[in-house]
Amino acid sequence: MRIDRKKFLATSSAAAAATAVVGFPAIVGAAPEPIRLGSIPCLTGSNALLGQQEHEGIQLAVDELNARPGKVYNDRPFELVEEDATNDNQSAVAALNKLLGENVSAIVCPVLSTQIQAMAPVMKTHEIPWMTGGTAVKNTQLGVPGLFRLRASDGITAAAMTNFAVKEKHAKKVAIMHASDAFGTGGADQIVLNLKKMNMEPVANEQYPKDAKDFTAEILKIKSAGADALLLYVQNPSDTAIILQQLRSLGFTAPIVGSPSLANQTAMETAGKNANGAYACVDFIVGFNSNVATHFLTAFYQRYHHQPDVGSGSGWVYDAVNCLAAAYKRQHATDPKQTIAALRGTKNWEGVLGKFDCDGEGNMVHAVSVGQIEDAKLNLVMKVTG
Amino acid sequence: MHFDLVANLQLLVSGLAVGSIYALVALGFVLIYNAVGVVNFAQGEFVMLPSYIAVTFLLPAVTVFGTIVHWQLPVIAAYLLVLLLMAGFALLFNRIAYYPLRDRGWLPVVISTIGVSIFLRNLAQLTWGSQPLVMPSLFSADTISLGPLQIRPQYLLVIGVTALLIAFQYLLFERTTLGKQMRATAQDRTTARLIGIRVGRIVAITFVYSALLGTISGLLVAPIFTVTKEMGALIALKAFAASIVGGFGSIPGAIVGGLAIGVIETFGGFYISSAYVDAIAFVILIAVLLVRPQGLFGERVAEKA
Repeated sequence: MRIDRKKFLATSSAAAAATAVVGFPAIVGAAPEPIRLGSIPCLTGSNALLGQQEHEGIQLAVDELNARPGKVYNDRPFELVEEDATNDNQSAVAALNKLLGENVSAIVCPVLSTQIQAMAPVMKTHEIPWMTGGTAVKNTQLGVPGLFRLRASDGITAAAMTNFAVKEKHAKKVAIMHASDAFGTGGADQIVLNLKKMNMEPVANEQYPKDAKDFTAEILKIKSAGADALLLYVQNPSDTAIILQQLRSLGFTAPIVGSPSLANQTAMETAGKNANGAYACVDFIVGFNSNVATHFLTAFYQRYHHQPDVGSGSGWVYDAVNCLAAAYKRQHATDPKQTIAALRGTKNWEGVLGKFDCDGEGNMVHAVSVGQIEDAKLNLVMKVTG
Repeated sequence: MHFDLVANLQLLVSGLAVGSIYALVALGFVLIYNAVGVVNFAQGEFVMLPSYIAVTFLLPAVTVFGTIVHWQLPVIAAYLLVLLLMAGFALLFNRIAYYPLRDRGWLPVVISTIGVSIFLRNLAQLTWGSQPLVMPSLFSADTISLGPLQIRPQYLLVIGVTALLIAFQYLLFERTTLGKQMRATAQDRTTARLIGIRVGRIVAITFVYSALLGTISGLLVAPIFTVTKEMGALIALKAFAASIVGGFGSIPGAIVGGLAIGVIETFGGFYISSAYVDAIAFVILIAVLLVRPQGLFGERVAEKA
């Protein structure tokens, strides 16, 4: 087909006009710019389970906020930018550096305290909100401006664990077993501090190396020290399950009181009957069915067809995203510095993990509870306020 | 610390059981090294992959690629099927990761095995997810009591099966033509080819045998360690150290090295400190290499002037 010059010009003009009519509104009435939210879960490596739980919790919160009228703030949706922290500190720092080049307004950090501490020097140089679930006491004392902890610190949980073992279970010979990472050693140090306040010393304080799978030596040492209670500070659900199995098979019958990760849903399911009867001090109130918690549990199950891990996995990140969105609304801005100020002013905000009140160090959660495990469920034993 | 006989016996059983697993995986390393002259860094995945497959066959419900499967096969059928699948996998591994690179020197093959290792770990995560899986134990009781001694039957099974496999391997290598062909290929591939041994086939059989050793290790430890994508790598690291302590390339060395590391780290954890278990194992490794660079059972090799 031949097109002469006149026809070509006419066709081109019509096409240009059509583009102007159809295309321009898309530019003139462009969708509001999304708020870029960074996230660094451990998606691969031996802590991939925690990363997966974090990813699920964040994605649920982001999708819920984006679906509501007005979206996150002022019709702006969240755009999730995710980088894999894998399993080691170097990878976490590399992921962080990559994310900082992505123009993100806030970052949800990995849950591993060891990675938070490795990332801290870089975090100090950027004044944006850092939302963390790492519970090591030190995390909020690293001098990172804008760091907020969405879970109870090990100071609170370790004190609650120690008090429960000594005062409620009347233990006279307390033993500690913990992982060699920042979470395990930080928690164990806090337990030792609390025991000292009661004029006690642990009869055994067993630290096992990363990736250990046989705990006979540690358990026999604890048994031969005559421990009448064991306080367990272990993050990895697989380690938790194996330790509980080996404690039972080696005939350890004294009360076991674990950190929040003992009540990690996966740890409880993997440990099965070996977890029955063990206590866990968790940074949420067991059985506390607030509207937020009930909605989260229902929405999570409907979407992913499995139970969420409320504490160390999906719950705190869900809270982190919603807490940020609430701060944007309070401050009428998404500017990182203003958001930090708004987050510092968080008072009586209701999340999945309970009531949030920000203290001077950026700690949001101050209440914990002790539960007892029975068939992969945690039943409330007592509430403790930090 | 006073001497407690019961605790020491308990430690010995645990140490031997863990050491047996190191020994089996170390044997896998050594056999492939002897046959083709390279270290197979995917040896740990020869432990992890069959564990995942077995748990998929055995559990009432397992999520595979997001779909729940309910095979729940009888134990014997599941184990045989896993062994068969892993034999097939080893042939494929040999064909893809080793065979095309066999004439390009040792480095490409080593890189290739590292690549397969990373690929398999990621594949496992994508296939089975991140949740640890629990392999059902063959025993109804978690422990059996022998007086004051509480022993896990699974540990006894690990030690027993390892002893049987070592005996089987001895007979295979010493009394059968296939074993002699494998030894001849390991010693000198060119001469083996000259005397009519089909070296390619023997190498493939060595890969299969090595994978089956890994498979048996996986089936033995999965009920104790839980099944995770990292389980093989953790065992392989210690097994690699064990094979060096024993003298890389030496079959008795791999066995003794594996058992020694298992027992020493268990006793070290009890008598010195559990925090330094890995350090103790690797200090011994360094000490052995300083005194006997060729390892405990290795042959002394001198460079010609």
